[in-house]
Amino acid sequence: MNLQLPKEAVVIGTKAHPPDTKAFKLRLRNDNERLELRSGQFNMVGLPGFGEAPFTFSSPPQADGSFEHTIRAVGRLSKRLMRVEAGETLHVRGPFGTAWPLEQVKGRDLLVVAGGVGMIPLRPFLLEVFQKREEYGKVVVLFGARTPGELIYREEFDTWRRQPNTFLHLTVDDVPPGETWDGHTGVVTGLFSQMGIEPDNAAVLTCGPEIMMRFVARGLLLRRFPANRIYVSLERRMKCGTGHCGHCQLGPKFVCKDGPVFRYEELAGFPDTLL
Amino acid sequence: MTDQVSARVASVEQTAEWIELLRRDYEVVAPVKTGKTTSFRPLAEGLEVDWDYTITTIPASKTIYSPQETLVRFARTEEGYRAEEVVPEKRKRILFGVHPCDLHGTLVLERTFLGEMKDANYASLRANYLIVGLNCQSIGEKCFCASVGTGPFYGYWMGQGPPQGCDVLLTDLGGRFLVETFGVNGVRLLAGVEASPPTPDDIGEKLKREAAAKERFRKSLDTRDLPSLLRRNLNHPTWRITGEGRCLSCTNCTMVCPTCFCYDIWERVGLDLSVIERIRVWDSCQDERFAEVHGGNFRSTREARLRQFVCHKLSYWVEQFGCYGCVGCGRCMTWCPTGIDLAEIAAEIRADEERK
Ligand SMILES: Cc1cc2nc3c(=O)[nH]c(=O)nc-3n(C[C@H](O)[C@H](O)[C@H](O)COP(=O)(O)OP(=O)(O)OC[C@H]3O[C@@H](n4cnc5c(N)ncnc54)[C@H](O)[C@@H]3O)c2cc1C
Ligand code: SF4
Ligand code: SF4
Ligand code: FES
Repeated sequence: MNLQLPKEAVVIGTKAHPPDTKAFKLRLRNDNERLELRSGQFNMVGLPGFGEAPFTFSSPPQADGSFEHTIRAVGRLSKRLMRVEAGETLHVRGPFGTAWPLEQVKGRDLLVVAGGVGMIPLRPFLLEVFQKREEYGKVVVLFGARTPGELIYREEFDTWRRQPNTFLHLTVDDVPPGETWDGHTGVVTGLFSQMGIEPDNAAVLTCGPEIMMRFVARGLLLRRFPANRIYVSLERRMKCGTGHCGHCQLGPKFVCKDGPVFRYEELAGFPDTLL
Repeated sequence: MTDQVSARVASVEQTAEWIELLRRDYEVVAPVKTGKTTSFRPLAEGLEVDWDYTITTIPASKTIYSPQETLVRFARTEEGYRAEEVVPEKRKRILFGVHPCDLHGTLVLERTFLGEMKDANYASLRANYLIVGLNCQSIGEKCFCASVGTGPFYGYWMGQGPPQGCDVLLTDLGGRFLVETFGVNGVRLLAGVEASPPTPDDIGEKLKREAAAKERFRKSLDTRDLPSLLRRNLNHPTWRITGEGRCLSCTNCTMVCPTCFCYDIWERVGLDLSVIERIRVWDSCQDERFAEVHGGNFRSTREARLRQFVCHKLSYWVEQFGCYGCVGCGRCMTWCPTGIDLAEIAAEIRADEERK
């Protein structure tokens, strides 16, 4: 098997998440194949001539074999992807990397902390937990973004909040003129005081800017959450996804294959990270 | 491959005839004098093997893993582009006269490319090659293979050894060669070659020459507890002083290293857009943009990048692949414009720790 050879995936639907993000629902062109993906893993998504980049799956595995990516426009490839519509083809390689520990955290209270587009990889985890809601304890989601407009998936918040024993707390850094907000302002760790979760039986899952994950993890360690039950999802530059190009290395780890989901304790003492 | 070993002795003339015989069926890529240095080149009329070379600039492993190669070709269709596998050309080649440091270097590189996840391109390129090793008796000023155990004569090192790394191994015994073969490919390569079985004297001569070569090392690296020594000293001042004070971020060290695997991927777009090629090119953790992502760079300083190079080779590699990433060839320090030397850095850190 040639791991560099992409598969064609047809866009079967798109959904804009203003201001700068777009979701793509895809299925492989070859009906006989499907991606055996797990929530937390990623694909290398590419467009010939524009290159490839890593994007996590933004929805859990689907019975019909379709999958979803939600992509924010930041550079050459991702900006070009904003113009891709249903019917067009993308080239994908994957799934790669480690998944969220859905099995290991069964029976535990879950604290999910997301920053900005860090909610994209966490959404499939939450949706899977909601599918088997009774197998998990209390679920508390803390979600922070720069502005109210950047609270991605806000149209789903009501559904999430209606799940039994599930709580969602939001915060924004800043409210630009023209937007309204009557919720909390300030960094996401400012929501710790209202989270209502005890460390003994809790697991933490976090994704966002690395500096945010630093404050989240360190803040929770001080509150006696154990380092082996804090899971982080990291971002690094990635070219291959297969442990060959070297770009994603963090100390002895290859983030593409040993991660992107790590236990916080696995990463202690490495240089070149803000964690 | 089997562990089957056999040995014989060939005269200089018989060896020359053997090479001519090989050239009929194979492209023989061997060390050849090119100006002041020696490089691996396909042997052609008038080119002779440099039997006494010390080290090439570009290592043997990077004859197989070349600076640039096409991974995928996209051909235009009605609906867009269809991805096509690029199968590298099939070509029977012999990588000839490879010193033990480089034999191990190739095996180390293959722990990346042929490990749990296989790199299909490398695998098919590698399938073109048979390898003939040459025990090394020309120890250079920067060589320290003896300290890490990869040379000067070829043997087992960190779980890898002769049967995996080469098909035939030569030792110059002075006017004659000891020729050892490993496995069926080695035996096949020697088919039809006139040679006599080795005498106890020949074997004795090999051992004597190995011992003599070991005496000639001027450089060493103390590997005791080295991976954890470095892990304990990720904040040592030498990273800043040497990195910021001397490193030019030229990337020479990683380009000449036999085990560096890092690459970047580029898209080569034809002018009429009918074909787009996805190519890989060697990349380097010493390049400023290597670890850059949107909104940040995880190794923006020379300090961080130098630490990555040295700690990868001498510490992280052991955790990743169960062996050192350094085979002691001395190339990185030879080609560093400011003479940065990872063995000296390791020694400096050790000395500081022992002083404490
Ligand atoms: C495991 C993983 C999962 C991710 N999931 C998502 C996701 O679900 N949604 C999303 O919007 N983004 C995601 N990202 C980030 C996304 O990969 C980058 O935004 C994307 O690579 C930018 O590509 P570009 O061509 O548009 O940008 P470029 O024009 O290449 O550059 C824009 C910036 O991104 C940096 N960059 C370039 N290539 C990479 C690369 N391969 N990896 C990281 N940074 C790079 C550049 O240095 C530059 O600063 C993820 C990243 C990782 C590592
Ligand atoms: S990270 Fe640097 S030292 Fe390590 S293999 Fe890549 S280029 Fe070589
Ligand atoms: S790190 Fe330097 S001495 Fe070690 S194998 Fe690479 S080039 Fe040779
Ligand atoms: S992305 Fe290439 S090694 Fe991890």
